[in-house]
Amino acid sequence: MKIMWTYIVAGLTIFGLMLLVGIGLRASQAGWIPIDTGTFYSLLSLHGVGMITAMAIAGLGLLWYLVDREIHLDERVAMLAFAFFAIGVVVVIVSVVFGHYGALWTMLYPLPFVGTTWPSWATGAWLLGVAAVMLGFMLICAQILGAILRSSGGLGSALGLDYVFGRKAFEAAGKHPPSPQMLAATVVSIDGLIGGASGLLVGIAMIAHWLDPHVVIDPLWAKNLTYQFGHTFANLTMYMAVAGIYVALPICTKRAYHSSIPLVVAWWGTLVFVIIAYFHHLYMDFVQWPAVQYIGEISSYLAAVPVVVVTVFGGLMLIHRSGMKWTLGSMFFFAGMVGWIVGGSAAILDATIPFNVDLHNTLWVPAHFHTYLLEGVFLFILGWVFVSLEQRAEAASNALVRWIVGLGIFGGGALFLISFYVAGAAGVPRRYAVEPAPGPFWAGIATVGALLILVGVLAALVEGIRLARMRAVGSAV
Amino acid sequence: MGDGLLVLKIFLVVAAIAIAAMLFVALYGAKKPLPQSVVNDAGYRIRKLWLGLVLVVAAIAFALTVPFFPYPWARASVGARHVRVTAAQYAFVMPSVLPVDVPLVFDVTSQDVNHGFGIYAPDGTLFAQVQAMPDYINHLPIEFHVKGHYVVRCLEFCGIGHAYMHGGFDVR
Repeated sequence: MKIMWTYIVAGLTIFGLMLLVGIGLRASQAGWIPIDTGTFYSLLSLHGVGMITAMAIAGLGLLWYLVDREIHLDERVAMLAFAFFAIGVVVVIVSVVFGHYGALWTMLYPLPFVGTTWPSWATGAWLLGVAAVMLGFMLICAQILGAILRSSGGLGSALGLDYVFGRKAFEAAGKHPPSPQMLAATVVSIDGLIGGASGLLVGIAMIAHWLDPHVVIDPLWAKNLTYQFGHTFANLTMYMAVAGIYVALPICTKRAYHSSIPLVVAWWGTLVFVIIAYFHHLYMDFVQWPAVQYIGEISSYLAAVPVVVVTVFGGLMLIHRSGMKWTLGSMFFFAGMVGWIVGGSAAILDATIPFNVDLHNTLWVPAHFHTYLLEGVFLFILGWVFVSLEQRAEAASNALVRWIVGLGIFGGGALFLISFYVAGAAGVPRRYAVEPAPGPFWAGIATVGALLILVGVLAALVEGIRLARMRAVGSAV
Repeated sequence: MGDGLLVLKIFLVVAAIAIAAMLFVALYGAKKPLPQSVVNDAGYRIRKLWLGLVLVVAAIAFALTVPFFPYPWARASVGARHVRVTAAQYAFVMPSVLPVDVPLVFDVTSQDVNHGFGIYAPDGTLFAQVQAMPDYINHLPIEFHVKGHYVVRCLEFCGIGHAYMHGGFDVR
């Protein structure tokens, strides 16, 4: 529990700080507060990488705990990984605050080295800071995967191959398929290592260029690896948090969530499609090998199948006519599934190549990933926190608190997100410190929405502290 | 091309249906709980149909969209007039006048970092785009059928002047 709470509290703290930065950025785009262009891009760099890191740290804490419940994991490894995260976060902050780095998380080669307004050391610090975060992430992935492989006897068993392809003999031998959360952990750790390796590879190449400018890199190669790493890392934050659904929703509904052949096969699909769906980030690079453009659209569609047919469908089957009480915990999990589906729908539209021409690098892109992260991953993390606290204290929040939190995070969230979608559909480009019309109008609406989210988050924080301070009478999740 | 509002409408309809369906499943009969086995029996039957429907919709969507892929290998551009576009922090070098109703192919590249070559139609909608990459030339086939002034904006973050990197041309 110590590791889980350390990670989750650290992740949510970074989230809170980045939320404030994000509100400032939207208010600046609305013309409500003055932020000069250089500072805007420094803060946008910090906001982007900070939010993903925050969700990854919190999600990993949850996932690590769920694996540790079934297979003992060495806490020292988790703390070593946490040290990498902490060093990475501090170095990134130094790069931004003192070095004024502003090439965003994508840092598409050769951007961080050409026409910069910040010193070279800031680019190096940024690269090293992100590399430290990636090393921490890969260390946890390696620990989890190693433990699972040792306990299950190999990758085939860990992925449930023997269960799917010989179910009768498997069950006759008294064996059990991997639990849903262990399947999630296996897939996250494998894909995490692959995505992390891509990130480290392009990161090392760029660090080499930083040290010796004679080292040149192919821009298309760098772009592929950057997005393979970035898309995979961001996407996996969801699958880390999703593991919580399999454990927490059964508690809320007093029902069981068992592994089944469809569930196992669905996770195989996730294993593959999360890695290759990134091709949709390069639809507008017409020199990209033609076949992968087709693969990008197909894999983006197929990545949604396990979500809508198995995990969310299964989650709804658990809730349906279960008599579940609407506590903050269960509310967050249900709303998180809604956000996942809505954000996923927007992502699929964007991953449809003829539509991507209209949406690529417009505000539609942050629209869909803010839906996915803010009304999906973040809510699953909050859901896990509140189900844990409610279980421990055997208490729940009153209706007034639920309404304040709900109106703030869901109502404010809807206002915040719709502004992104409408402006994106109108063709307003993303990552503009000063947006063309109708961008500033919608940035103002977004700022109001984000402030409401802040109110909801603060109310949830106060309520979480109240529940945490109550005497522990129940059992841990 | 120029279909941003159509996508928004599709999205809003899909999102509304999804939210309504999920709320219905969660709230319908909430005060009359059923054993899990009863829900599962019906749920697994529906899930098979749902899986089939999702796969069919995905296959149809893919098949319907392939003819509209914007790539030069997917579009006839033999005999088209080539237009050179060079992007650099923070401007586009390209002709200021282009012909209407003539097949064109924009040969887009960059002198420094990655940029995005986004063409906005006279009505303000995003009409077409392609990345401008150093060391590579992206070929964007287009034929303009509407006269007027087209604005070009950078659609890939390229540095501190990104938001101010724009140009334009007249189609006559």
